[in-house]
Amino acid sequence: MTRTRKPGVSRRATLAIMGAGAVSFATPWVARAQAKTIKVGMPTILSGRVAQLGTSSRNGVMLEVEKVNAAGGLAGRQIEMVIRDSKGQPQEAARVARELVNTDGCEILIDAEASSGAFAVHEVARDLGVLCLHTNSETSALTADPKQHIPNAFRTARQGVHDSIVGGSYAAAIAKAKGLKKWATCSPDYAYGRDTTGEYVTYLKRFAPDIEIISESWPKLFQPDYTEVVTKILQAKPQALYSCLWGGDLTSYIDQANIYALFSQMEVFAVNMADYTALTVVKNLPKGIHSGNRYIKTYPATPENAAWGDAYKAKYNEYPTNWSWENATAIMLLAEASKKANSADGKKVAEALRGLKIKSPFGADGTVTMRAEDQTLVGYAIGWGTTIPQEPYVPQVQPGDWKTIFELEAEWKKSKGYT
Amino acid sequence: MTELQAEQALEVPHEAKTRRNRDAVIALAVFVVLALLPAVFSSKLLLDFVIRCAAYGLFATSLNLLVGYTGLISFGHGMFFGLGAYGFGLMMQKTGVPVPVAFVATLAITLVVALVIGAICVRLKEIYFAFVTLAFQMLIHSTILSWVSLTGGDQGLRGGIPRPPFLGIDLSNQLHLYVASCALLVIGLFLMHRIAQSPFGYTLRMIRDNATRASFIGIDVWRAKLTIFVLAALFASTGGIIMALFVSGAYPEFAYWTISGEGIFINMLGGVTTFLGPMVGTVLLLILNDTVTRLTDYHGLVLGIVILFFAIGLRKGLMDFVVEWYAQRRNGARERG
Repeated sequence: MTRTRKPGVSRRATLAIMGAGAVSFATPWVARAQAKTIKVGMPTILSGRVAQLGTSSRNGVMLEVEKVNAAGGLAGRQIEMVIRDSKGQPQEAARVARELVNTDGCEILIDAEASSGAFAVHEVARDLGVLCLHTNSETSALTADPKQHIPNAFRTARQGVHDSIVGGSYAAAIAKAKGLKKWATCSPDYAYGRDTTGEYVTYLKRFAPDIEIISESWPKLFQPDYTEVVTKILQAKPQALYSCLWGGDLTSYIDQANIYALFSQMEVFAVNMADYTALTVVKNLPKGIHSGNRYIKTYPATPENAAWGDAYKAKYNEYPTNWSWENATAIMLLAEASKKANSADGKKVAEALRGLKIKSPFGADGTVTMRAEDQTLVGYAIGWGTTIPQEPYVPQVQPGDWKTIFELEAEWKKSKGYT
Repeated sequence: MTELQAEQALEVPHEAKTRRNRDAVIALAVFVVLALLPAVFSSKLLLDFVIRCAAYGLFATSLNLLVGYTGLISFGHGMFFGLGAYGFGLMMQKTGVPVPVAFVATLAITLVVALVIGAICVRLKEIYFAFVTLAFQMLIHSTILSWVSLTGGDQGLRGGIPRPPFLGIDLSNQLHLYVASCALLVIGLFLMHRIAQSPFGYTLRMIRDNATRASFIGIDVWRAKLTIFVLAALFASTGGIIMALFVSGAYPEFAYWTISGEGIFINMLGGVTTFLGPMVGTVLLLILNDTVTRLTDYHGLVLGIVILFFAIGLRKGLMDFVVEWYAQRRNGARERG
């Protein structure tokens, strides 16, 4: 074989790689130089199909961090965010989280991971004892299951079971009024899709016992073509359709179902429709799709919420997502808790967080609460409404009733053996 | 195959014994150095790094037993990594047996699964082998995803893996886990090196170079391939166990094809013609990954360029290159002398 390179190139390459190695081990020691700032680490997904989760989470956080820092920081310490990509791999999420705490000297973690990554970071928080706020995982078990419970982890996001209760009761009322008895479902084929649909149907049947599910479709996550799903649903001729498709999947589904005029033939309930990620992307948004609110600046219909949405839009040139408000809430809670504890120390802040009620643009009554017993967020705005093709997209949102949510949630926890 | 001829010429019983002893001494020395590292450097990052190197290193080196030594390009080797992680995690969560028992039992499960899958796959040639292993990997991945009641579906094994102390070793302590991982890594590499240097190892090289010829001189090719397939699976599974201990959980991503892809990539980086190539590749990849992720969100781009550099620029792994370069220098010196 003839040589294509002289040995010198290899030596240089080797040196470069060794240099990279040296940098890898050296930077942490440089970074450790402790200042008066408090470092907050944030593992999230900044690349791949759901990079928008990471970027809009980051935006939500940074918007609030700037405000907190301008007002003096956490108990006098300026917040410095260290945000790192986990690529959506749980082992990377765990590694990054450990690195943020052990090497970069972060004293608080904002876990902006989705599904399995959140559980991986949860285990890191359990091992290291660091204060951790889960901001994106809506899987109920993360906080509802006592086996998961650790005193230093909190959730500032929605919870699946809350959505199902509100969605089920809203749909049941419409089903009764319009006589919708035959239902179909169409949801992505993974844990979120299966669990959410299962719970939704449970509550739907509880409030309207005479409905029946006549067709179920489980398209793959990130499936590009929904033709067979659409035709299957049309052939089954249901009176109503439930779907928890989200983001790009939901918009492709709607665009493709529009061709078959599906939306004029049945009532459609799509829990993830009322989020700007879907509303602004769909080509022809049909009128009258029922949807839960994810983030929309017109609900809660308060000046605070509208102002927050506009400020976000002005800064990032796009509307906030559901993830944005969940992450912003984490910073708002941290700021209030450290004020109450008069400290930025993780343990004291955690103590102050338990049961903390703060004013919030995203609260159903202008406040949200970090429930002490299971350390998860309650009282946030949750409701359903129907779409129109232009802004404000979902003009009338019917609020969910938190009293009912609490009752049914307690019952659900008992049925799962959590209490 | 100069390497083969040279080593075969030396392969007389006495020499083999000395070499075995030398390997054991080197392995012991490496272990002692690794175990003493935390006393010198207090960096927790370094410990985490070595633990991950142990997990991926065992996995990649075992893959090289298939790719480099036997010529079996497996695209599904990651399934055993995942199997190790899930087997061990589930055993600890559900049965509460001591860690060593769970460890051995996990290897036993891997053995059975690898036997069944291997028996089907190793009959096939090249691309068919690659794709059927990939298919089995996706089968295992899908099973993990859909068997929610056992595996937790795509949320993974939740609630942490209990790690009760045994014989004074507490694996929930990072330092203990570090030493244990180093021990597993060194023992694993030592055993794999023994396998590679044994007559059986040379049989594998022969099968790689000319399977027909091997069968003509009376070697049962199928059995030899199956044996190495199962052995490699056991080491990959051990890597998975270390990873499960590190993250205190198991996730479907561990059994996804991307893990197999990473294994192949590591082998490309480090080189497949030397035993330590994959280990070097592992260290390289992890350093690259950790550094680049810290510096930029566009790590995919950087890693892609590095792959291109190795694939098109060097046309071989780093260790291959170093070994060749060294040999050439030595020859050059000899000629000049």
